[in-house]
Amino acid sequence: MSQVTKRSRVQRLADSVLPGRTVGGYANLIEARLRKLAATDSTGMLPLSGHGDGAIFFRGGQVVYAESTRTPTPVRRSVGLAALGLVATDASPASHGAELVAMPSLDRLFGMLALTEPTIDAITELLSNESRYAKFRPSDYPAAGQASPLSIEAVLTEVDRRRHVLRQLAPAVTADSPVVRFAPRDRPRFQVSASQWALLVRTGAGSTPRSLAMTLGRSVFGTTIEVYRLLALGLLVVPGHAPAITSGQPAQRPAAVMSFVRALSNAGGGDA
Amino acid sequence: MILPAADELLAPVMAIDGFRLACLIDGSTGMVLATREFQENQDGPAPPTAAAGAADVINALTLLNGRLATGENLEDVMVTFSDSFFMVRPVGLDQQPQILLLVIADRQRTNLAMAHRSIRDFCASFTS
Repeated sequence: MSQVTKRSRVQRLADSVLPGRTVGGYANLIEARLRKLAATDSTGMLPLSGHGDGAIFFRGGQVVYAESTRTPTPVRRSVGLAALGLVATDASPASHGAELVAMPSLDRLFGMLALTEPTIDAITELLSNESRYAKFRPSDYPAAGQASPLSIEAVLTEVDRRRHVLRQLAPAVTADSPVVRFAPRDRPRFQVSASQWALLVRTGAGSTPRSLAMTLGRSVFGTTIEVYRLLALGLLVVPGHAPAITSGQPAQRPAAVMSFVRALSNAGGGDA
Repeated sequence: MILPAADELLAPVMAIDGFRLACLIDGSTGMVLATREFQENQDGPAPPTAAAGAADVINALTLLNGRLATGENLEDVMVTFSDSFFMVRPVGLDQQPQILLLVIADRQRTNLAMAHRSIRDFCASFTS
């Protein structure tokens, strides 16, 4: 049995990327490659490298898994103290397949999301950076039944939507913006969700949405949105930016920036 | 939709009189997880747009709730359009991730109180 971790294996494969295959930010070239792999019902792995390394795994032309060094790998669903990030959780990939069939419906849905969200999160990262792809490696890995297969068109549509949301958020915060806690004196009371509280108590010197996501094993995209909400509440600030709650014009507040509907309307053309 | 296998979970809400569309949405990311549509809903709202609108509404109300700090939780949202009802309810309060249920129903054929009760019961059974 191999002693090399999956991440190291992906890193090693990504290092073998052909220099001539650079796509220099033209993520649509990678998308075209992914569509071709889907059209030919491919099974195997497409390593990618660039700002971050990773790989996308196919089975029968559908995406079954993806990972990036810049996003967390799947973890088991957290409950109780683990959901708040206050106790350690098992970091091994969630086991799917027969186990899901016996689960109650909400747990079943969470079980599906436990692999789907990190997969979409990783692909968003891999297609958002200046990435290049290596030779496709046919294989049977990951093992059959590990993840719910996702159609490439559904994945690319979702990635496109996420890109537009991230562009909306960019003036306020990105996944790599440093954030610090802020205590507005004029509003002593706030109400936050358990998810937001977990972020607040973890935020320290040098924290970014990505580092918080890595710490808590959550989606980088979802954590960036949650940090944005905390910016809108004025409980976090990006150093150098005025706190949302004390800034002058309402239009300058982060709350006026993000809209999921606008992300869809911009999907076919340029951003607002 | 991203999780076609989850579509079957929405089957019970299709029994609501005047049912047009239902979606399960990951409220933390706005991603549509599953969708069921009435067969004759071709002229109705597109599921991704309706779901994005629902996620935006919940996002705005969550921010409002955060500022009000009354200690209350958002249970559901009912919006009345000229021809339809737009109903959103979180499935499982404060769960991680937060899943939202969106139901759109024909206003002329739907008893709002009955629909509200059906959605509440569905969410209760969903979390048990």
